[in-house]
This record gives sequence, C-alpha cells and structure tokens, in this order.
Amino acid sequence: MSKSSPRRRFGGKSTGTVTVIEARVHRSSARNAKVAFVLTAIIVGGLAAVVATSYLHPIVALLLGGLIGVTTGAFVWLLVRVWPVIRLLWWWSTEILLAVVLLTGWVQLANHTSTLVTLVVVAVLVGVPAGIPKLRRLVIAWSWCLIVRHRLRVCFAQFIIASQSGSLPLILWATPTPVGERVWVYLRPGLSAKDLEGRLDKIAVTCHASTVLIERASEGNAAYVRFDIKRREVLNARVNSPLVDVIDPSAPASASPLTVPTALDLPDVEVPTVTLPTQAKPAGKKSAPTTTANGSKPAASSADADDDVSDWI
Amino acid sequence: MTTTIPATTTAAAVPVGAGLSMFDPVFIGIDEFGQPVYLDVVYHNLLAAGEPGGGKSGLVNNICGHGVLCDNTRLVLFDAKLVELGPWRDLADAFVGPDIDYGIDTLRRLLVVATNRYTWLLANRRRKLGPDDGMTVILTVIDELAMYSTVLGSKAQQEEFSTLLRGLVSLGRACGMPVVAATQRPSWDIIPASLRDLFGYRAAFRCTSLNSSNIILGQGWAEQGYTASDIAPTNQGAAYLLAEGGMPRRIKAAYLTDTDIYNIADYAAWTRTPTRTTGLPDMGLAA
Repeated sequence: MSKSSPRRRFGGKSTGTVTVIEARVHRSSARNAKVAFVLTAIIVGGLAAVVATSYLHPIVALLLGGLIGVTTGAFVWLLVRVWPVIRLLWWWSTEILLAVVLLTGWVQLANHTSTLVTLVVVAVLVGVPAGIPKLRRLVIAWSWCLIVRHRLRVCFAQFIIASQSGSLPLILWATPTPVGERVWVYLRPGLSAKDLEGRLDKIAVTCHASTVLIERASEGNAAYVRFDIKRREVLNARVNSPLVDVIDPSAPASASPLTVPTALDLPDVEVPTVTLPTQAKPAGKKSAPTTTANGSKPAASSADADDDVSDWI
Repeated sequence: MTTTIPATTTAAAVPVGAGLSMFDPVFIGIDEFGQPVYLDVVYHNLLAAGEPGGGKSGLVNNICGHGVLCDNTRLVLFDAKLVELGPWRDLADAFVGPDIDYGIDTLRRLLVVATNRYTWLLANRRRKLGPDDGMTVILTVIDELAMYSTVLGSKAQQEEFSTLLRGLVSLGRACGMPVVAATQRPSWDIIPASLRDLFGYRAAFRCTSLNSSNIILGQGWAEQGYTASDIAPTNQGAAYLLAEGGMPRRIKAAYLTDTDIYNIADYAAWTRTPTRTTGLPDMGLAA
C-alpha cells in the first residue's frame, strides 16, 4: 500500500490518506456505483410503484415507489462503492481469519493459564508440526498455497493486462501437489489460456517457482483454467518395476549358444578383412570408382571393402 | 577363432507363468504425483525418443519384460546394437540384429500375418481383435530405429524398411500387432514424417533443444512449457509422455537392472518352455 502522493514518500508530512484501491479501479468503481444507483432506483422504484397501485392511491404509490427505489439504489450504490474493499478483504480472508484465531487463542491462553503452561502449550503446538517431517511438509505445502494465490494475483494485476475496467480473474482454490501447487482460475473477458502461455516464465518468477504450466480445467468452458506450479523435481529416485516381484529369481539360466568373435580390439582386425555386418553400398552412390583420390587405380577385389569403410568414417 | 558359450540345461519342472496378458495395462513408471503410469500397448504404437543415455532402453525393456511374461504373446525384436534387446532374444520369434535384409523379410512376414488377421476379422464380422479371441499378440520392438532407416543397407533397402514399417504401424493396431520403436531423434531426415506421425503414444526423453522435443511430442508443446530439454541430464528415465489425456505428462520410467532383465528372461524362458520356438534365429551376426 503506497502513500497517495509520491512527493511525500520520504518522510514528508502525510495527509493521512492511504491508497488502498488503485486510482483506475477507484474511478471505475465510482462510475459503476452511479450507474447501479440510477438503474436500481428506476427499476425497483417502478416495480414497487406498480405493485403499490393495487393497494394505494396512484400518487401515494408513486411516492412510495420512489422512496423504495431511492433506498434500494442507495444500498446498491454503497455496495458497489465499497466492493473493491470487500474484494480486498475477501482476498485476505484466510489470513485475516487465521490471524484472528491465533491472536484470540494466544490472548485467551495467556489470560487463563500461567506463563509456564502457556509456553508449554505453544511449544507443543509449534514443536509437534515442526518436529514431525510429514506434518511440517503439509503445513509448508498449504502455506505455499496461500502465498501462491497472492502471487498469481500480483501477476494479473502487474503485467497481464486484462479488461479495461481492470477487473482481475477469479483466483479460486489452490491445492498442494508433490511438485508444487495447483491453482484453479476463472478468467475474465479479455484473457485466454493462449495469452497466458507466452508469459509462463514471468509467472514462474513471480511465484518463486521453477516452471508454471497452464491447462484448461474444463472441456466445455475455456475460461476455467488450471495453473500447475512446479518448484521441485520429484522424479529423481529410481523406480523399480513390479515385474521383478512376479518372477522366481532362481529360474535356471537360459541362453542359446552364442558365437562370440575373438577379434575384440582394433589390431585384431586386419584391414582387408573388414566386413561390417551386411553393410551394402548406398544406392545413390556410383559403382566402384575408377580411380582413388590420389589418382591410382584401386584393386578391383578391394573396391567393396573400401566403400564400406568410407561409409563408416 | 571363435568361442562358443554353451546353452545351460533346463529344469525338469516348469512353473505356471506370471499370468499376465498383453491386454493388461503395461506398467512403465510413475508420474509426478507418484501415481503409476500404465500404457495400453496393444491398441497403440509407442515412439520413444531422446538423446543417448536418456533412458529409452529402460522403457523399452519394461515393455519387453511385460511382453515375455504374458501369455499368448510373441515378440519380434529389432536391435542393431544387440545388447539392448539381446537378453530377450531366445524368447523372441525373430531377433533382427544388424541385418537389414533379415529385417525386411521379417517385416514382410509380419505384414502378411496382419493382412491375414484382417481377413479373419472380416470373416468373423469384427473390426478389432479382442482378448477373448485367443489370437496371439505379436509385439514388435525396435531399438535404434535410425540404424535401419539411415545406416544399414542401401538407400533402397532403408526406404523399403521404412515403407514396410509404416505399413505395419498403420495396420498392426487393431489386429493385435503393436509396434514399439525407440530412436534418438525422429526428425524427417531420420524417419519419414509420415511414419513418425502414425505413433499414437510418444515418450520424449531428455533432448538438447526445444525443437528436438517438439519433433518427438508434436509441434507446439514446447511453447506451452512441455519440453524435454528441461529434464536434467543426470535424471535418466525421466520423460514427457503423451498418451491418454491429451496432455504430456512428466514420468519416470521404471528401471530394470541387467540382473533383473536376465532374471525375467530366464524365468520367462522357463515358463514358456512348452510353446517357445526353439533354435536361435539368424540375426545376421558375422562370425
């Protein structure tokens, strides 16, 4: 949250206002609120007046309708006006809830127990998850899920330009996966999975991750996508095959007789006797050359062998 | 000047086989969520590619290992390097070494079988072979496909090999004759694009560039973040698998040590004693 005036950033006198909502969103919200007020007032007021004419004098009904319309419109105006703040609270709702629960718990604990008991309870609550690796990993994984939703929102707000009104995609729930997190997002008009594919590297940087993949989460709705955030390589260990378990390793060895050549080193193979296994001449090549590179005539009998060697060099 | 390694004796008693079927899902490894990854190999052709030492042979050996332990399954193996699929050579109905002529003959035989099977299916008012038909599954496994399509033999033979293989890959799917092929880089100059595109399942092991990864998985995946170039060189067996689901999945292929492979091969040979073909087929090995 930055100060409203950049001039006063460095210790100048503050006006006391803090920018919670960006100016663009603020203007858009004001306009929307006005439109919402007028529309609600007219529609609700009109409907209320029509219904009221059945019971009251038309003029009284009209006045009543106007009153109901203005009241409802004002309520809607207020709702739309504070919507950016409600949205902000919604984004941080989990953290706010967690903070409230933790603080309340701490205060209640401190008020109702002695210091020693308080410390023991806190030590158990913190120490047990920290000491048991499985629990610790679970807590860390879910913490990343909280963090990554905010990081994704930063991506959308900072460098992924969406609609003119500046509304952000709905970042739905996130779950931990063995490699990182998986976050479901509902895109708003102006964005597509294709647009995001070109920015996956930037998203990965913003999310402090290694790589990010995006795929559609629904066959029928292109707006519903899924981000796979990957921060660690898990496929490092060796995977054993279950085939080993279905066999009896004491089975008698079975191998057909195999003729093994003894020429296993280069000097063992004499030059004219090179015969690569059925290595035939390439079709595109001309038949045996009449002269070699130095102009001498090759021996007719070694022409095939020469061709074979040159293919392999 | 040759030495001969004698065949060892076989035991008198023969155990019951492992009870697997090629129609069962074939376990090939785990994914990033720790879930096992299975492939339906019978009805799909698999192309595994990536740089040397990436773990292609591990994947191929998993499938071979499953194949040899299956009932009613025949193996046809192509391995110019001999050692990758060599352990299964006695269990295979044909083992093609660095001999393209024998390879072409074998592919021709397979195509005749495929055509005959389709005639049989037509006569039985069917379009696809099922597990209850009692017909054998003929699993063709090719390690280092590029050796047959670019190195061994003449240009005409290489083209003939590619054409015959294209026929087998396109025909084999529904008649129980799947093809599993591995190569380093399946670009058009190594394997015709028309052949490459027939493989439904793709496994991209580590590549050096985005482009290489795209060649294996298909155009556009690298741009979406699915690139095998981000696999660490030390992480052998890690790959992107494009199979069911339509999205590439990061997997780690299960690894069989040499001892495991030979143990499985020995056990399979033991259980297959009544049905296996006897005698080593001509691999084209120079004495």
